Amino acid sequence: MAGIVTEPWSSAENGNASMTPKGSSRELRHGRTAHNMSSSSLRKKSDLRVIQKVPYKGLKDFLTNLQEVILGTKLAILFPAIPAAIICTYCGVSQPWIFGLSMLGLTPLAERVSFLTEQLAFYTGPTLGGLLNATCGNATELIIAILALTNNKVAVVKYSLLGSILSNLLLVLGTSLFCGGIANLRREQRFDRKQADVNFFLLLLGLLCHLLPLLYTYVATEDTPAAVISDMSLVLSRSSSIIMLISYIAYLVFQLWTHRQLFDAQDQEDEYDDDVEEETAVISFWSGFVWLVGMTLVIALLSEYVVATIETASESWNLSVSFISIILLPIVGNAAEHAGAIIFAFKNKLDISLGVALGSATQIGLFVVPLTIIVSWIIGINMDLNFNLLETGSLALSIIITAFTLQDGTSHYMKGLVLLMCYFIIAICFFVDKLPQKQPNGFHMGLQQMNNVVTATGGGVFSS
Amino acid sequence: MGSIVEPWVTAENGNATAKGSNRELRHGRTAHNMSSSSLRKKSDLRLIQKVPCKTLKNILSNFQEVILGTKLTLLFLAIPLAILANSYHYGRPLIFGLSLIGLTPLAERVSFLTEQLAFYTGPTVGGLLNATCGNATELIIAILALANNKVAVVKYSLLGSILSNLLLVLGTSLFCGGIANIRREQQFDRKQADVNFFLLLMGLLCHLLPLLLKYAATGEVSTSLINKMSLNLSRTSSIVMLIAYIAYLIFQLWTHRQLFEAQEDDDDDAYDDEVTVEETPVIGFWSDFAWLVGMTLVIALLSEYVVATIEEASDSWGLSVGFISIILLPIVGNAAEHAGAIIFAFKNKLDISLGVALGSATQISLFVVPLSVIVAWIMGIKMDLNFNILETSSLALAIIITAFTLQDGTSHYMKGLVLLLCYVIIAACFFVDQIPQKQPNGTIVGLQPKNNPGSGFFAA
Repeated sequence: MAGIVTEPWSSAENGNASMTPKGSSRELRHGRTAHNMSSSSLRKKSDLRVIQKVPYKGLKDFLTNLQEVILGTKLAILFPAIPAAIICTYCGVSQPWIFGLSMLGLTPLAERVSFLTEQLAFYTGPTLGGLLNATCGNATELIIAILALTNNKVAVVKYSLLGSILSNLLLVLGTSLFCGGIANLRREQRFDRKQADVNFFLLLLGLLCHLLPLLYTYVATEDTPAAVISDMSLVLSRSSSIIMLISYIAYLVFQLWTHRQLFDAQDQEDEYDDDVEEETAVISFWSGFVWLVGMTLVIALLSEYVVATIETASESWNLSVSFISIILLPIVGNAAEHAGAIIFAFKNKLDISLGVALGSATQIGLFVVPLTIIVSWIIGINMDLNFNLLETGSLALSIIITAFTLQDGTSHYMKGLVLLMCYFIIAICFFVDKLPQKQPNGFHMGLQQMNNVVTATGGGVFSS
Repeated sequence: MGSIVEPWVTAENGNATAKGSNRELRHGRTAHNMSSSSLRKKSDLRLIQKVPCKTLKNILSNFQEVILGTKLTLLFLAIPLAILANSYHYGRPLIFGLSLIGLTPLAERVSFLTEQLAFYTGPTVGGLLNATCGNATELIIAILALANNKVAVVKYSLLGSILSNLLLVLGTSLFCGGIANIRREQQFDRKQADVNFFLLLMGLLCHLLPLLLKYAATGEVSTSLINKMSLNLSRTSSIVMLIAYIAYLIFQLWTHRQLFEAQEDDDDDAYDDEVTVEETPVIGFWSDFAWLVGMTLVIALLSEYVVATIEEASDSWGLSVGFISIILLPIVGNAAEHAGAIIFAFKNKLDISLGVALGSATQISLFVVPLSVIVAWIMGIKMDLNFNILETSSLALAIIITAFTLQDGTSHYMKGLVLLLCYVIIAACFFVDQIPQKQPNGTIVGLQPKNNPGSGFFAA
C-alpha cells in the first residue's frame, strides 16, 4: 500500500512534449515506479470479448470500466468481503466477524487504489504522478490512523504505524531476499546500495525523533509531575513532526528532481520487456478519479469498522490489541506489495523489491507518522512520538539490523532468513505480551514505564 | 570454541572434491584447526620405536601423540592435582584454580581429536562435528551449572565467551598482526564477517526483547507474570535461534561454501613450513573416539569442580562471581584458540583469525545459548534470555563496535587496540561491580555483604 516514486512517469508513449532526456525507450519503459511494477504482477489482462457483445455504447464503456477496475486483479476474489462486512454490521453479527471481514476487504482495495493512482499518473505527468503515488500509496495506513485518532485510540494509531514500518523492513524485505536468494542460488545478487542508504538515514532520523520523547520519561525524577513530562514530550513531538515533514519534502525533491538517476532501476535484459504491460492508460481520467474517490470512501468505511471492533476482536480471539495492531493489520494492508516484492526478487530484480519495502518504510516513518501528529494537534488530541520502550527498542534494532545487512550491496538467502526470523521474534514478543494496558489521560498507551503513575480512569481500555 | 570455515581436506584421502590446486586444498582447513595446529609439535617417535612389543608401542605412540602433542602439555599436571585436592579437601579456591588451569590443555586436545576424527568422517560431518564439539567446554560448564540451578553462572559465562571472542581474541589478533605488519596493508574478506555479524545482531535482538519486557512493565504487574512472559518469549526465541543456526550451517557448509574460503596468499612458502601436520590422521579412528570420550569426561569432572567451587573462590579472592564468570572462565577456555588467532594474524592471514573469533562468537550466541535455554526447559529450570541491562548493553555495544570496525575489509593495529581497550573497560566494569544482583526467582547473585552469612549464593 505504499506508493513510492522511483522514476518519472513514462510520458513519451502518451505523446507529451516533456521528453525527459533519459536515453533509450527501454529506459523510459523501465522508468516505472517500483511500486507500480510490483503491483502490476497482481494484475491480469481484462478479457473484453464478452463486453463487446453488449449493444449500447454507454453501457459497454461502463462495463469495460467496471471490469478493468474490479476484476483486473488476482485479488478480486476478496472483494465480496466488502459487502459481507457491511451486511454484518447492519445485521448486528458479532464484532470479531466484522473485524475479520473488513480486514479481508481492505486488501484488494489497497491494491486497486495503487492501480488507479498509476492510471491517473498517465494523465498528470511524471512529477505530479509521483507525488500522487507517494501520498495515496499509504492511503490505508493514513485513513486507519486518522479514524483511530478521532476515536481517541491513540495506542492503535501508534501500534499500527509502528507495525507497518516493522513489516516493511523485516517481513517484506526478509521474504523477498529469502525467496530471491533461494531462486537465484547460483547467481550473485546485487543491488545499488545508494538508494537503500538514503532510506536508512531518513529512518534513523525518524528513530531519533521517537527516542528523545521516550528518554524524557526516564530522566524524570520522582518529584517531577507527570503532566510536565507529558507536556515536554508533546511539544517536542510536535516540533519534531514538522521537521520530519520538511525532511520528507526534501526527500521527494531529492528523489523526483535533483538525484533522479540514483533511483533508476538497474539495467535489464530482454526478458524484462515481456513483463511490462502496454504503457497506455486503460481507463479515462475522470472515471479513474471517480473510482479513486469511491474506493477511498469504501476504505474509510471499512477502516471505521476495523477501528471500532478491534477491542472486541482482541478479546474474543485472545490476542492483545498491540499484537493485532502491530502484526495483523500491516500484514493485511501490505499484502499486495508484499507479493509483488517477492516476485521481483525471484527475477533477481532486487532494486525494485528494495525500493518497495524501504520506500514504504520511509514514507510511513517520515510522512504518515508526523502527519498523524499534526492532525491530532489540530483535532486537539494529545498524541506524542513516544512509542514506549518495547516498541521503540524493536524499531531501533530492526533498522540497525536491516541497515547492516544491506550495507554491502549484495544479497543471499541467509540475509532474508535472518530478517524474517527477527520479525518472528518480535511478533512472538508482542504475542506473549499480555500485560494490561492502562490509558491515563490518553497519554501513555501500552506498557507503562512509570511505576508511580496510577490514575484511575475506569476499568476499560481506551476509555477517554 | 570451534568454528567452521572450510570443508575438510579430502583430496589427500582419496575423495574427489574439485577444489583446484593442491595448495588451495591445504589452505582449505578450518580456521580453528589451523589456529590450533600452531600449538602442536611433531611427536618424536624415536624413543618409542625401541619398545619391542607392538601393541605396547602403539599404545605408547598413541599416548604420546595425544597427551604430549601440544605445547600446553605442562598444564596437564593440573588435572591430577585438582582431583587430589578435591579428595583431600584442600582449600576450595585452590581446587577452582587448578581446575581452571587443567581445562586449558583439555580444550585444545578435544579440538585436535575432533580434527583427527574428521579425516575419517568426511568434510560435512567433520564440519558439523567441529561445530558441536568445538565449544564443548562452554557447553559442559553451562549444563553442569544448570543442573546445580546456578542460572546466573550460565548466563555470565556464555556472555563472557561471546565478549571474549569478539573483543579480546579479535583485539589482540588485530593488534599484534597490525604491529607485525606495520608496513603492509592488511585485508580480509568482509562477506564472511558480515554473515557472522547479522547473526550476532539477531541474537542480540533475542536478548533485548525480554530485557525490555521487564522494564516496560508497571510496578503493579506481578513479577511472576513478567517472568512467565519473558520465559515463554525466551524459549520460543531459542527455537528460532537454533533454526537460524542450522540455516547458517547449511549456508556455510553447502550452498555458499565459496564465501568462506581462506584468502589466497603470495608468500606461500613460509606458510607451507607451518603446516607441519601432514594431512593424514595420526591416530586410529577408534582410539581417537575413545580419547575423545575420555577427555570429555575429564572436562566434565573439572567443570563440576569449577561450578561447585566458584562461590568460595569468589569470596576468598575478593572478586564477584560475575567477574569470574564473565572474564576469567572464558579466558581460560579460549586460550588455545586465542594463541592460534594471534599467530595467524602475525602472518597476515586475517581471514583465519576472523574466522576463529567471529565463528566462535556466533556459535556460542546462536547455538550454545539457545541450547542451554532448551536444556533448562527440559530440566524444568527457569532460564530466560534476559541477561540484565549491564551485560546486554556491553554485548550490544561490543557487537556494534566490532561490526563497525570490520566493515571496510582492512585492518591495522589501531583497530585491534581499540577492541582490546573496550574489553579492558568492560572487565573493569564487572570488576568494580559489587552490587548483589537479585534474580527473578529470588536468589541473590554477586558478592554478598559480609554481615549476611545466612543466605548463601544461589539459595533456592
